[in-house]
Amino acid sequence: MKRISIFCFSLLITHYSLFAQDIFISKGKIEFEKRVNIYKNLDDQRDNDNENGFDWIGQMKKQIPEFNVTYFNLYFDGDKTLYKPGREAATAQKIPDWFKGPASDNVVYCDLASDKSTTQKTVYETTFLIQDSLRQAKWKITNDTREIAGFKCRKATTIIMDSVFVVAFYTDQIVTSGGPESFNELPGMILGLVVPRLHATWYATKVELANPTPADLTAPVKGKKANNEEVTQKLKSSMKDWGKFGQHAQWEISL
Amino acid sequence: MKKNFILLFFLSISMYVSAQKSGLKGVINDTSANEKLVNTTIALLKAKDSTLYTFTRSKQGGVFELKNIDSGQYILMITHNRYADYYDALTFQPGETKDAGNVMMTLAANLLADVTVRTKIAAMRMKGDTLEYAADSFHVRDGATVEDLLKILPGIQVDKNGKITAQGEEVKKVLVDGEEFFSDDPTVATQNLQADALKSVQVFDKKSDQAEFTGIDDGNKTKTINLKLKDDKKNGYFGKLDVGGGNKDRWNNTGMINDFHGKKKISGYGIMSSTGKTGLNWEEQGSYGEAGSGPEFNDDFGGFIFWGGNDDEFSSGNYYGQGIPKAWAAGLNFANKYHDDKQSLNGSYRFNKITSTGEGSTLSQSLLPDSLFYNTEKAKTFNSRWRHSVSGIYEQQFDSSFSMKLTVKGYTGHQDTYSDYDNQSLDAGGILVNKSLRHTNAEGDNSNLNANLLLRKKFKKTGRTLSLNLSDAYNGSNTDGFLYSLNSFYNKGSLSFEDTTDQEKKNNANTNMFNSKITYTEPIVKNLFAEFNYAFRLSTSDAEKLSYNKNLDGKYTALDTLYSTHYSFDVTTNTGGAALKFNGKKITFGAGTDIASTNFNQKDLLRDTLLDRNYINFFPRANFVYKFNQTSRVFLSYNGSTQQPSITQISPVADNTNPLIITIGNPYLKQQFIHNFNFNANSFKVLSQRGFFMYGNATVTNNAIVTNQVTTPGGITTYRYVNTNGNYNAYVGLNYFKKFTKADFNLNWGLNFNGGRYSNFVNGEKNRTDNYAPGFDLGFNKQKEKKFNINYWGRANYNISTSSINEELKTKYWTQSHNLDFTVYFLKKFELNNEVHAELRQKTDIFNTNNNVVVWNGYIGRKFLKNDKGLLKFYVYDLLNQNKGYDRAINTNVITERNYNTINRYFLLSFVWNFSKSAAGLPAPGQ
Repeated sequence: MKRISIFCFSLLITHYSLFAQDIFISKGKIEFEKRVNIYKNLDDQRDNDNENGFDWIGQMKKQIPEFNVTYFNLYFDGDKTLYKPGREAATAQKIPDWFKGPASDNVVYCDLASDKSTTQKTVYETTFLIQDSLRQAKWKITNDTREIAGFKCRKATTIIMDSVFVVAFYTDQIVTSGGPESFNELPGMILGLVVPRLHATWYATKVELANPTPADLTAPVKGKKANNEEVTQKLKSSMKDWGKFGQHAQWEISL
Repeated sequence: MKKNFILLFFLSISMYVSAQKSGLKGVINDTSANEKLVNTTIALLKAKDSTLYTFTRSKQGGVFELKNIDSGQYILMITHNRYADYYDALTFQPGETKDAGNVMMTLAANLLADVTVRTKIAAMRMKGDTLEYAADSFHVRDGATVEDLLKILPGIQVDKNGKITAQGEEVKKVLVDGEEFFSDDPTVATQNLQADALKSVQVFDKKSDQAEFTGIDDGNKTKTINLKLKDDKKNGYFGKLDVGGGNKDRWNNTGMINDFHGKKKISGYGIMSSTGKTGLNWEEQGSYGEAGSGPEFNDDFGGFIFWGGNDDEFSSGNYYGQGIPKAWAAGLNFANKYHDDKQSLNGSYRFNKITSTGEGSTLSQSLLPDSLFYNTEKAKTFNSRWRHSVSGIYEQQFDSSFSMKLTVKGYTGHQDTYSDYDNQSLDAGGILVNKSLRHTNAEGDNSNLNANLLLRKKFKKTGRTLSLNLSDAYNGSNTDGFLYSLNSFYNKGSLSFEDTTDQEKKNNANTNMFNSKITYTEPIVKNLFAEFNYAFRLSTSDAEKLSYNKNLDGKYTALDTLYSTHYSFDVTTNTGGAALKFNGKKITFGAGTDIASTNFNQKDLLRDTLLDRNYINFFPRANFVYKFNQTSRVFLSYNGSTQQPSITQISPVADNTNPLIITIGNPYLKQQFIHNFNFNANSFKVLSQRGFFMYGNATVTNNAIVTNQVTTPGGITTYRYVNTNGNYNAYVGLNYFKKFTKADFNLNWGLNFNGGRYSNFVNGEKNRTDNYAPGFDLGFNKQKEKKFNINYWGRANYNISTSSINEELKTKYWTQSHNLDFTVYFLKKFELNNEVHAELRQKTDIFNTNNNVVVWNGYIGRKFLKNDKGLLKFYVYDLLNQNKGYDRAINTNVITERNYNTINRYFLLSFVWNFSKSAAGLPAPGQ
């Protein structure tokens, strides 16, 4: 009798877990933690590699935290996704804005079915409202997998802006082909994103099976209207004398 | 050949018919349960690079269909989280629609996991489009060059001439740590650099500079190898040699070198100059100088602050005093980091010597309630001083939450001065009142020691910190000198009497300040912190000024008690304080106060008197920052603080260094209290490249320490220090700058205003001197790389001063300053530079000499050597020979104008050589 009950119990568990895995999610809310290594970016942005004089960068590093951690929420329902800044991270010490970089609080609305996106991006003094098609990334699919927030994710890579390497981990258990920032159109939801050149990672910390309200999935409306090409041209002319710092900033803004 | 034709034929056919799209359909099944699988991902990847071509998901009944597929080779990838991945290779013919039929998926649980995957740092790996070889994974003999290493790397060939081929293409560029070295010739790097210095070898296609700059790929790529160095192999040196000589005993020779071995750096320099260079300039300071305090994070402001901490003539790069200088300087610095940078040590030694000869005249107008005096003084001085300085900074990070910083600095020096003065005073009617001839000389030693220890601990709870700061500062000086003065007094223009002062003066002064402060911060709620502090300070000063008259034997042994003192002044302060800080996203706010109990202990050791006083003081402070966005903000702050009188102001003795101007200290002086208000707002538009900033500052001083002036009809003035109210100072300004992108130039302009009131007492009457100076400034800059560079900046101010004791006598004048810097580069190797500084000072009724000066400097230079590392320069300073020293002050009832000699026209021929070497035989990047 005892044996039978154990057997039944284990059956129940197995069945439950299988059942759980078979859920395909098409709506909900994902929280992403974005981590940017400020120290490494400081090193990269230096134009002059001659670091043999007085070590200012080293002095600065001692006074600010190594990582800038911010949170974003991604709401999704079918073909529509909205990515926007989420809760504030608890930090004791402020990081000067200059070190956080531009375009660090983007709001991205994507309509995957109609290949349209509306992005609100604060680039220094200007808030742009960029209306354009979705990013046309050539994703290279790999066999590597890893688990993020309890989901098995497959690794895909791409190169954007001719030279910036991007790694995405997506799960096909979430049907919506969305992702953080402007990255999407993989066969599932991107739960992890890595841009090595910017020393930045986005990883999902939790996936909530919630029903996003229409307000959660409303495209941003405020900002100076432009398309991606116009913003790129503007950045190029403004930052042409900015050396590595300018190049870095342009990559950050173009994510 | 025939084969090729056939292939070509098929290729063109397939291109021709590629308009016809293909399709794929099928049904996804579970092998075991024979269940139709919904939501399975069906993806087509391109066979050649596994990029995602298209994908879909299976619908009800496991059905899927992909349309509009271009013909070609693909990989079909079918995935479902519970099932093993399904792969198949597919080739679509134009117009072909394949039916995959029933695709059977196998439960992942049914597959045996018999493959273990080990990760290991691969000897070769692809990083994006870069192929990277880990250098240590490939073995070469000791002392092998990079070329030897390249020969054995798979996929790379090196021929006998050193020509490198990678992935079948010739390598045109070799970079070291991403930098291009010396020349386009790749062998320079590969044949000189040692293989064991490398961490990795990277092979990639470098886009053309144009493409990299614009981000638009023009298809011009160069096969490039980047050699990444190991950190500890970043060894080398760089330096600069500048030798120059000219007419009129003008020379300027400097040599500097920085030698680095990984994180260990040793730099040294030597300077000898009679052209005004006394030390390292700002730029050189960064490469060859001692460790400064560095940028400091300011919590209130939310940003980094760079302190320009050069407070005396020995720490500044250029002579700013009067007269003609000759300077010698030498320095040696050491810096190293240990234990993963957890410990760092900086040490430095510096020697400076400056001699200067000065000659000048001062004209002043002294306003009195019912009369005035004009005074002319001619002076000649010689001054020689030297100093040995040492400093050390040791930092240790015990763990991520606990750190220590110890700073020790000190110097010992010597000074020697000789001065001759020739002085005369006239009354309002221009009639001679007195004359004086004066000679002083003094010789003495001075020394200083500063030590500071800072311990900081962060606790686990975010925002809870504890810090302890201990510091001690000592200053000491002693001088021995002589004063000889012959004073003649006139009555209605004829000599009435004369007196002489002939004294030896021995001065000995030292002060010591001990400071200790402990600060604790505690988070209250999110973004709100409380700060508590306690501080103990002890300041002790001791000043001995002894004046001796000549005795009958001709020796200076008779103490003149009227002009002698030995005074000690101790201040003990206990301070406790609390403050609140709010650190929000848009708003940063802080307010608090310290309460201090201060004790003054004053002892007159010569006359044996004691004065003991106690004060309670508040030190309120508040600051507020509002951020409109990342690049615009306003900042407001207020703080109140006390300032103690100096020992000279407080010791009750007359100073007769100038017998016609006597100053007497006042032991009953109270401390001053200063209210300081600060405001600034700035907005910088990065994209449109314009910016705007405004600033303002006001200080109001209560119980300000000012002078009470009594001038006798004979022209002898006595100053006593007293406290008074009603002194304030303020300045405001705004600046705007903009880049005009089309015409490619920068323009900036600004408005500024300075004003203040200085209250003092003149012959028993209270006097208020009000002075205002509104002004305007303008700047322009345009440059074209390797062609020219033009820079203009200028400012104009209108100065007004009135004293209440004689309001009819207003002083008003314009001052203007214009600067033009213009450099042209021509014939590849030549450059021509012009620098014009014009100072225009309007004459006034009293100051009626022409003080306009146009200083025009310029040089023509030719570059030499590889990478233009050498520059031969012919330089002329002050071509028009107009330069002169000038100073005008109008902010009390005594207005003065001073003219003095300074460096005039000279010609200098010099050669500058920048040299460098790094990384086991490689020339280092240019500085």
